[in-house]
Amino acid sequence: MYSQYLCQFAQVHEQFRIPELMSVSELHGFNIELPDDMDVTRPFMILGLESDEHARILTQRCILVKSICEFYARGKTYEELHMQTRADPSKWARYVENTSFKMKVTAYNHSIPQTRARDVVEDFSYMGMLGKIDMIQPEITFVCYEEYVDKHGTTREKHEGDGEFREVFFGRLIDEGSARRLVKSFDVKKRKYYGNTSMEAEISLLMANQTLASPGMLIYDPFVGTGSMAYTTAHFGALFFGSDIDGRQMRGKAESPGIIRAAAQYGVDKRIIDLCTFDVTQNPWRCGEMFDAIVTDPPYGIRAGAKRLGRKARPSGAPPRTVAPRSESRPDDQPYIPPTKPYELSALATDLILLSRYLLRHNGRLVFFLPTVTDEYEEVDVQTMLCEGMEVVANSLQDFGSWGRRLITIRKTSSEKYAPPTFEPEGRRLELEKADVASKHVPAHKDFRMKYFKKFNKEDYVA
Amino acid sequence: MVRLITHNLLACHAKGCTTNNFPLQFKDVSIELREAELNPDFIKGFLPRIEWKALVDAARQLGDTTLPSEMPEMVDDEFLKNLHHVLLEMHVEEGAMICPNCSHVYAISNGIPNMLLAEHEIA
Repeated sequence: MYSQYLCQFAQVHEQFRIPELMSVSELHGFNIELPDDMDVTRPFMILGLESDEHARILTQRCILVKSICEFYARGKTYEELHMQTRADPSKWARYVENTSFKMKVTAYNHSIPQTRARDVVEDFSYMGMLGKIDMIQPEITFVCYEEYVDKHGTTREKHEGDGEFREVFFGRLIDEGSARRLVKSFDVKKRKYYGNTSMEAEISLLMANQTLASPGMLIYDPFVGTGSMAYTTAHFGALFFGSDIDGRQMRGKAESPGIIRAAAQYGVDKRIIDLCTFDVTQNPWRCGEMFDAIVTDPPYGIRAGAKRLGRKARPSGAPPRTVAPRSESRPDDQPYIPPTKPYELSALATDLILLSRYLLRHNGRLVFFLPTVTDEYEEVDVQTMLCEGMEVVANSLQDFGSWGRRLITIRKTSSEKYAPPTFEPEGRRLELEKADVASKHVPAHKDFRMKYFKKFNKEDYVA
Repeated sequence: MVRLITHNLLACHAKGCTTNNFPLQFKDVSIELREAELNPDFIKGFLPRIEWKALVDAARQLGDTTLPSEMPEMVDDEFLKNLHHVLLEMHVEEGAMICPNCSHVYAISNGIPNMLLAEHEIA
């Protein structure tokens, strides 16, 4: 049996809201009934939940949930709202006799003048609440939300358009979102160790929720960089393993590795199992099906170059380079640094999915960011990199204007054992053919680096 | 770091080195013991993925003899505690891991192993 709950979202990352709710409910093994007329751009949504307990799980874990109320009524006008509230006293009658309460009147995109707020409260007098009014520690809180349309970019008088709301909602507060404050505690600026590509706190928390991070899970980031994903996943109890082709990113300048120092700041350094320097295309994993989730923000080649071991192709006609085995004693006593070559984004994305299929256990998740060109993106782009046994669970856009990045969540649906990927064009082509995807389709994220530096001006790169 | 759980998951991956490339042999290592939180479910869940002989040999080489040579059929608390200690609380901070087959030396510095391959070792 579902009851109706009023969920108030933080007004950011609209496309991430539903995937986050769904992930947290999946992690805790309960269902959410979404409304038929769902509009993710609005800050309020009526959800069907089985109990207050489930609502509290959501407020405690979802970064984008500001509050959840037991839903009483909604209306385009207060008349409608009061009519619905009066029509169903069974929802609130039990609080009439002897429950201390307070009533909160608030608005989204607007501030209500105090005098009118008081009038709004008075208008609920038909409920006949007999309990004590307690503004500090009431047993229950009624909330009345007015939703106004965004008056973005216009100058206006204070309180202008007061009362001209889009819709008004009324309910009993179950819990205010407590996970949102994590955004502050994981603030990159206050972190002991970070780099120029560290992921912002809010997104790295959302990514951790998409992995279903929880105690006893083993999570891997193959492009760990400065460890942004380590802290949030470990915070939720997971054990974390990171690797990167460039060890300097993980270490920083001090003796003890930077990632471990930052993890210690959050009290999760013991959950960082290990950090390793290697190229994921030449990886030393002994076997597959080890990880419960793989989460990563792969390098796009813009701020951090996507690199793999090897050398750039020689210009045509140039004689092949002779490869000398490295000598054990180096004259300058410096560690040997092998040459690297660029790693094109669409190849990297396909390889990442193939690698995840090898390394994830059944039902494990891959969560990663894929940059796309806004004008060119099509739904099928994501399909072009999927292989057999992997299924897209969520795809949320963070829009930056001419480009954006999509947080893709993929689940390994197959329980079969798969071979490790070859990391070569031929191997990729074979896999994609098997999955019967539109292999002729060129996704918008192909050659993203080149497109970015040509400022997404199509004439410059469509020959 | 390089905990023994990691050591149990890494094999030499140099070009052509496909047999006898696991487990890597520790050399000139310095060890630190650091407490970690015990999660019995994680240890139990990880058990089937362990290469047992490699783990026991590595633990004994580093001076921990609490694990039996054969993986026991019955998992009791004592065993879980010992296994937890070996997998997660023994950290190799400095030294090297050497491939028993091709003798590639993977150096460990400040707890981070360098598993990068040289140019002539990649496919």
